[in-house]
Amino acid sequence: MSLGEFEESPLVAGTGRLWREAAEAVFLSAIRGGNLPREGFQRWLVQDYSFAKGLVMFPAIAVAKTPWPVQNFLIGRLGALVAELDWFEQNAQRQALDLNAALHPTCRRYVDCLIVSVYTQPFEVLLDILYGVEVSYLCAWSALEASGPYAEFINRWSNVHFMACARFSMFASGTRTSYRKNSSTRSCDTSETSGA
Amino acid sequence: MLHESLWQQNADITQRCLEHAFVRGLADGTLDRDVFGQYVAQDTFFLRAFLKAYALAAAKCDDVESVRIFHELMTGVLEELKLHESYSTKLNIDLDHVKPYLATSAYTNFLLRVAWRGSLAEVMAAMVPCMRLYAHIGSELTTSLRPEHPYEDWIKTYSGDEFRQLCARLESLLDEVASDCPAVRDAYCYAMQCELNFFSAPLENHE
Repeated sequence: MSLGEFEESPLVAGTGRLWREAAEAVFLSAIRGGNLPREGFQRWLVQDYSFAKGLVMFPAIAVAKTPWPVQNFLIGRLGALVAELDWFEQNAQRQALDLNAALHPTCRRYVDCLIVSVYTQPFEVLLDILYGVEVSYLCAWSALEASGPYAEFINRWSNVHFMACARFSMFASGTRTSYRKNSSTRSCDTSETSGA
Repeated sequence: MLHESLWQQNADITQRCLEHAFVRGLADGTLDRDVFGQYVAQDTFFLRAFLKAYALAAAKCDDVESVRIFHELMTGVLEELKLHESYSTKLNIDLDHVKPYLATSAYTNFLLRVAWRGSLAEVMAAMVPCMRLYAHIGSELTTSLRPEHPYEDWIKTYSGDEFRQLCARLESLLDEVASDCPAVRDAYCYAMQCELNFFSAPLENHE
């Protein structure tokens, strides 16, 4: 599995040192080193569920701001998020985790930033943001060896399906330029811009 | 139940739709192909807005189960759009450059205004009529089916179990989140009127 296609994409390259800092976060290093306590991982898992739940609004509103046919892609991402939340809930039940725990300030800032963006930014920017969310997650987990107590999670978030989603996200983000070039030929369509 | 009460309150519009020249033409197969093509083009424009309204409704939900239902409804619209794309080749219509009729833009602007600014209950009240009316018309028109009926695909799509089940899920959700109030009744009634106008528009704009 090659992550090069993502790491060399212009948006990722443009993040500079931030990308490296995210990839080398203490949390990830601890998993890599095999010294992350179970409780710490579980706290992260609960926050990740809250993040995914908060993120549902993002593709939903983005569908309403995005022209056809890119909506198709966003509807697919919404469906994938719902499926991911199902998985989280089943997993939490097995581990007896409380998914209603308070949002950590970092999680809250991240979700707030995404929700504000989805209301205020044009759809081209929203596609870039979604790509950033997905590709950073994919690359972070794919850089870990799928072994040890967290192998199930590493496998889940670095698998081919997840990679295909990120690839499609990169594609959708990349199509925004060609859409803009062609948009002058579209008919007058007030519903395409309502509320945006 | 609220959804049944709203449906009954607008029975007169339902009857006018069933007796409408466009719907009668669909039933007996005499509807002009060009008129049908224009209708398909307008409906494609409408459904793309309808998708957005579903998405905004999903964004207003607090629970994952409701989001799941709206995602299923969006998937259903994508299936309808596939049906329309299949017509576009047969009828030689361009679905990507549709100029909406006044009746179409009145309907889509109403839907999106409610979806962006209204409550979840109002959005759903604005969206149920399209589903319920088409399921009803589809069901009524099945008796008109005969071998090589020109509008068989259309009738079968809207009389099918899959469409009826999607409609029932939406109505059930409406019952859960909405109460019988003026805003909900107005949204439902206006959407029904928009549906009636939508059938008239292709006939009025046909030269």
